[in-house]
Amino acid sequence: MYASPVKQAAGDARAPRAWLEGLDFAMVAAAIGLVAVSVYTLTMATQDDVPGSPLYYVVRQAVYGVVGLGLMFMVARFDISRLREYQRLMYATMVGLIALVFVFGVAARGSKRWIELPFFRFQPSELGKVLLILALSAFVVDRIRRLGNRDVTGRIVLLALFPAILVVAQPDLGSGLVYLAIAAVIMFVAGTKWTHLAALAGLATASVGIALLVAPAVGVEVLKPYQVDRLTAFVNPTEDPQKQGYQLRQSITAIGAGQKLGRGPDGATQTRLDFLPEHHTDFVFSVVGEQLGFLGAALVLSLYALLLWRALRILTSAKNLYGALVAGGVIAMLMFQVFVNVGMTVGIMPITGVPLPLMSYGGSSVFVTFLAIGLLQSVNAQARAAELAKARELAAA
Amino acid sequence: MSGPPLRPHDTSRVWLTRLVERRIGLLFAAFLLLLALAAGRAAWLGTVRADDLRGRAADQQVSDLEVAARRGAVTDRHGVELAVSEDTVTVFAHPFLIERPDIVARQLAGPLDRSVKGLTGKLSDRRRGFVYLGRKLDPEVGRAVEKLEVEGVETVAEPRRRYPQRELAAQLLGTVGTDNYGLSGLEQSREETLHGENGRRRLVKDALGKPISIVDQRRAVPGDDLRLTLDAAIQERTESVLEEVGKRYAARGATALVLDPRTGELLAMANWPAVDANRPDAALSPAHQNRAVAASYEPGSTFKAFTMSGALEDDLIEPETPFSLAPTIRVADRVIKESHGRGAVVLSAAEILAQSSNVGSVTIGLRLGARRFDHWVRRFGFGQATDVDLPGEGTGIVPRPGDYSGSSMGNLPIGQGLAATPIQMAAAYAGIANGGIVHRPHVVAGARAPARRVISERTARRVSRMLEGVFGPGGTAQEAQVPGYRLAGKTGTAQKPDGFGGYSNSKYVASFIGYAPARNPRLLVAVAVDEPRGEIYGGAVAAPAFEKIVSFALPYLRIPPD
Repeated sequence: MYASPVKQAAGDARAPRAWLEGLDFAMVAAAIGLVAVSVYTLTMATQDDVPGSPLYYVVRQAVYGVVGLGLMFMVARFDISRLREYQRLMYATMVGLIALVFVFGVAARGSKRWIELPFFRFQPSELGKVLLILALSAFVVDRIRRLGNRDVTGRIVLLALFPAILVVAQPDLGSGLVYLAIAAVIMFVAGTKWTHLAALAGLATASVGIALLVAPAVGVEVLKPYQVDRLTAFVNPTEDPQKQGYQLRQSITAIGAGQKLGRGPDGATQTRLDFLPEHHTDFVFSVVGEQLGFLGAALVLSLYALLLWRALRILTSAKNLYGALVAGGVIAMLMFQVFVNVGMTVGIMPITGVPLPLMSYGGSSVFVTFLAIGLLQSVNAQARAAELAKARELAAA
Repeated sequence: MSGPPLRPHDTSRVWLTRLVERRIGLLFAAFLLLLALAAGRAAWLGTVRADDLRGRAADQQVSDLEVAARRGAVTDRHGVELAVSEDTVTVFAHPFLIERPDIVARQLAGPLDRSVKGLTGKLSDRRRGFVYLGRKLDPEVGRAVEKLEVEGVETVAEPRRRYPQRELAAQLLGTVGTDNYGLSGLEQSREETLHGENGRRRLVKDALGKPISIVDQRRAVPGDDLRLTLDAAIQERTESVLEEVGKRYAARGATALVLDPRTGELLAMANWPAVDANRPDAALSPAHQNRAVAASYEPGSTFKAFTMSGALEDDLIEPETPFSLAPTIRVADRVIKESHGRGAVVLSAAEILAQSSNVGSVTIGLRLGARRFDHWVRRFGFGQATDVDLPGEGTGIVPRPGDYSGSSMGNLPIGQGLAATPIQMAAAYAGIANGGIVHRPHVVAGARAPARRVISERTARRVSRMLEGVFGPGGTAQEAQVPGYRLAGKTGTAQKPDGFGGYSNSKYVASFIGYAPARNPRLLVAVAVDEPRGEIYGGAVAAPAFEKIVSFALPYLRIPPD
């Protein structure tokens, strides 16, 4: 392996500023902006949720944001190319952690996704997303020349499918789908044949059809009935508060009631009167829509657009294939979650419990999102360092 | 690691270049499209659908309730409560919020006094957003339910009308609907006074239907109390006497009223069969009618006093004027007989009235003539409402002279062929009792009733003396006596029309109207019994009722004996 350019940079005379070297500040700004909007939104939305402690969620989310930001800076200074060697360990860790949930997991709302830690609830499926990106990218890089081989495509899919199925079994359908989205984009970026991608798309469509339509008809329960309800609810929302369509209806009502400029923190009655369920986690975007109107929603979506634009720029400027694939995986993870979550709140995607990155309350999600942004920053830093080295070489020549 | 190792740098740069060209653009485009889709949808919701959705949010969060004002109480002249409003509690549930209907039903069955099975059924219907478990229950029941703190079960206060005296003056008071508006009787006609102003309350609810804030946008203004001229004690006695008569003669119905002829104040107004005002549904609908003002009947002999008054006032006769009377008299194609057959006699005008001679009355009526007869009948107020302050008053039927047939003057002077209401009869007699001045009868205290003179004081006094004779020897009510008091009055026994243009031989209205003390009348009582069986004569059926009411009321009102 080649020498790390980071070390060279660290040895530079401008050492005090070195740790900021190679950071994409626009992306950092977008991330901080999203956390800020999240904290602002939660201040109103959750003030009545924990009796006697109106800032319970606000303080925690702010702390998660600050800690996450530190995590990002740490990862950014690290050359992630070195992680390629540990792909098996990372994959095994991912599977192990997810499996651990089945043994030590804490159940919440009928689902075992968390492991209770001293300071927060750790959700392995969140960390698993990043581990999958790192491991799968390494696996693909090793087989880049045989990518046209059907066998290789199949093995990549199986590697993603295995943890995805474990996660779906928790049950956490949304996160499971994130795993598959990550794999799909990594393959796409790596250059998997169109014919393979088309075949996989067909297979996926067929699976969805079987899970939603055929299996229930013949009496085999692939998905739990409530999951089927949730997936199909956006087609015909109901008013029954115990039915999934109710959430969707209330979410759409909240966003619409916000109109163009929002109803302000006090006027956002859909949220304050508890009509909007899960308003601090899955439906936080609806709260923004009600409080700040379309203006707020547009602001949030613009911040994500900024984030993704910078991420795609980093992807194109990556120093090596591993960095590019990792960047692709991170983009897939963020983009999929943003679209599925926002799509769910506005009624164009089915309800799957996917958090909105940096906006939804939750330590695991915030940490892992910053971790992922850290990976992008690292890829960027490596690319900048390589350019710098190249420039120096040219100058020396 | 498997697979051939990558060579650094150059190779990956080549790959990357290829990637940028081939796929990143596509990826970027795809992501941009998805973001635009989400943004577009959010924009559509926030602009095009915004008003609709804001309305929907308000609909499910805010509800405006009508708060029923507390109705005013109705009391008798001494403040005895006849109708009052009391707070009750209505219990309802949101079935979709109830997880275990069976458990909740068991909890509620006790306090609500309902069967577990019935409640479980109501609570299990999850399609229903709202279901009543009990309306207008005692406040203690409400408190017991609230104490259970069952999610999805709520209570709301509602006023309820209660009639502490139960049957007392029930037909006069009327009824109030569940929505707190009067439906009949005084409750209806005095709606404006009693109802007050309903308030409006804005309720903001959270997702579980719990009220977050309750703001009275307009406070409910309670209705005013209504004091009546009725005297609960006299009313009570009148009703019990009426019930006794009604039951004894298995009558179809009976009515009685007591008024003060000096003022027109009604002291009692009773109808039988009785209605329990607290359970109005338990009575048949005819029982709800306030016959005293609504029912018209052919008065019969009691009407003879007005024929006599007219003839006296027109100076056609004197009380002592003798009349030679054949057993019958023929008017056109009609032969009028006495109720008890007799031979030819000579009777004075006073005796004609005391013995209730049909032949004599018709003779006097013929002397008066159709035009003057009609004049006096209308002057006494017949053919038009008395304007008593009660709803549903009838006008009776008095034919115009132009419409008389040849035989009309053969039966009109004896109270046949025309119809009057008990209140009209009572008011007209009160005019005779009160020296010729009729006060408009009324039941609401305070208002000064207009009065008008119908006959001269002298005529009134003379007719009154003649009515005393009804209780004297040979009079039709000679058995009726109240020791120490001189009485005046008139019996009536009227055949009811048979519906075929003639008169029934078995259906009668037995009536009596009288007052006391005869020389200084303070109390006028009218009694009419519809279709008594076994006995039909006013003197036998109605006069004893008059006697009983008067003999209670005179000492009760501390009216000194003559």
